[in-house]
Amino acid sequence: MRLPIIHAIYRKEMLDLLRDRRTLISMLVVPLLVFPLLFQVITRVMERMEQRSETEAKSMGIAVRVSTPSLRDALEKTGLQISAKDDLKSAVENKVVAAAVEEVPGTPPEIRIYVDSSNPTSSAAADKIRTVLTELRDRRIRESLRASAIDESVLTPFTIQRTNVAGERKMAGSIWGTMLGYILLLLMFTGGMYPVIDMTAGEKERKTLEAFLASPAGRQEIVMGKTLAAMTAIFLTAALTLASLVYSLKGTRMGGRSEQLQRVMGPIPLDAGSVALIAATLIPMTIFAASLMFAIALFARSFKEGQSYLTPLALVVIFPALLGGLPGLELTPTLCLIPIFNASMVIRAILRGDLSMINFAIALAANLVYAGIAFFIATRQFDKESILFRT
Amino acid sequence: MIQVRELSKSFDDSKRGAKLAVDRVSFEVREGEVFGLLGPNGAGKTTTLRLLATLLKPSSGTAELNGFDINRDPARVRARIGFLSGDMGLYARLTPREILDFFGKLNGMDAPVRLERMNELMTLFDMHSFADVRTDRLSTGMKQKTAIARTMLHDPPILILDEPTSGLDVPTARTIESAIVNARRAGKSILYSTHVMEEAEYLCDRIAVISDGHLKMTGTMEQLREATGKHRLREIFLDLLGYPPDQ
Repeated sequence: MRLPIIHAIYRKEMLDLLRDRRTLISMLVVPLLVFPLLFQVITRVMERMEQRSETEAKSMGIAVRVSTPSLRDALEKTGLQISAKDDLKSAVENKVVAAAVEEVPGTPPEIRIYVDSSNPTSSAAADKIRTVLTELRDRRIRESLRASAIDESVLTPFTIQRTNVAGERKMAGSIWGTMLGYILLLLMFTGGMYPVIDMTAGEKERKTLEAFLASPAGRQEIVMGKTLAAMTAIFLTAALTLASLVYSLKGTRMGGRSEQLQRVMGPIPLDAGSVALIAATLIPMTIFAASLMFAIALFARSFKEGQSYLTPLALVVIFPALLGGLPGLELTPTLCLIPIFNASMVIRAILRGDLSMINFAIALAANLVYAGIAFFIATRQFDKESILFRT
Repeated sequence: MIQVRELSKSFDDSKRGAKLAVDRVSFEVREGEVFGLLGPNGAGKTTTLRLLATLLKPSSGTAELNGFDINRDPARVRARIGFLSGDMGLYARLTPREILDFFGKLNGMDAPVRLERMNELMTLFDMHSFADVRTDRLSTGMKQKTAIARTMLHDPPILILDEPTSGLDVPTARTIESAIVNARRAGKSILYSTHVMEEAEYLCDRIAVISDGHLKMTGTMEQLREATGKHRLREIFLDLLGYPPDQ
């Protein structure tokens, strides 16, 4: 194979791809805009919903049937309008009030909160009620203890302290590892789809292949130049989407409202060493993805047909990629031989910081072999006139 | 020089079975000669040209182009031909200059030689005004000029042209015809397929008529006239295909 020829083909393919609106959208615009926009919209909608629930709860108010004055005083502190209703349950069900409170006499008396948990407004009102009632109960207990000259410390004979030995990095790696590998691998197959179809079925459809094949460039050189261009597109899409996803996750409240989760998701364990190891894992996978898609898309006579051939492939990739990110599964030398799944598990182990170099080497070697096989198949396909000149 | 010997090509069709597209075709194209390959649609012209351009592998028989066998030495054959397919095959998102530069690199031309040759051809085909415009924004004539320039870029000794003037206006067709005449004068072997009888009559030194994969007859215009007793190529062509003469 001659490097100047491969380089010329690579350059031409890249130039061609970067001038294709469809490829540009899938390769640059979608990765850069979709996640930030999606997350912004979701965050805004969530904030709006929270605000609306609060406002609605205030305007709807709560129905109260309590005889103890201190309870009524406490409920007034919620800031919600208080009213009386005959049937508390149906008042909440019919959204006449946001929630309702009933004091059932007994020893001790039971305080019932009626809430429609499917309705955020009702849940918000119930949360407020619960908070003020819990504060009142705690205050009562402390007052009783003081009146009986008993120290408050009897309430806490011992404390429970859970110490996580995993450390922040491992925890972050565990959480990020379940999704990063999966997302990266899925992106490699979906992000490279348009460029690969364009340079195979697209070229057949535009009838530019004949002149190309009649040139002194060898078939292997053509496949190599095109595969390298596809690999570049795949890497670019994956890197941009990943950066955009990480930025969006960190910049919004999508980690949920749990402070613990926010703290764990905050530091993404991506130091230079981890990035290098992930890149080393992804390189054979990129060759594998590009060559496999190339061999499949070559069967198609048109761009549309190419899409229908490659879309199911993305679905095939989802399963092993997702499985590889699941916590609890440990990477063994045998599992290292399963393509896609092994890469997903290796990425998780890299992020957690507990990667076994033997497993890494086995997975890398296996994926290099699969990449070689896929490239060989792509080259063979490109040599078959029944495929190239299929009409 | 092109020497075609007993060249055959059959295609497997799952619905219709094997189809013999080219059946033991033999002919020769000498240096400094324009050889016309004429035939109705589906006669086997394009398949023959594709076989010689090594895009397809023959089922049997062979051909030598400038001494290199299409079966044994396809890479060397491709380095010695300029092939123009019937569809032009231009990259729509690239400009003519980028296309020529790309094919120059594929043909192993060094930058100074490549640029000089590109400039020469752009002047010859009057392409400077649209050399940097994307091909999908060009007229059919401009595109065909670009395709011909690409075919001649590396100055190959053999030109294989599939309907080079199809769909062109008269001035553009004349430019292309002039280029073919000049290539003949430069000693190149030119294999040429067309549906335009007047053009073939005017340009070709020898003509072969192909139908259903068989060569019906090969010869100069004089030889064809003598054999058929007809004067114009159109009449000779119809006669060889078994059609009744024009009323």
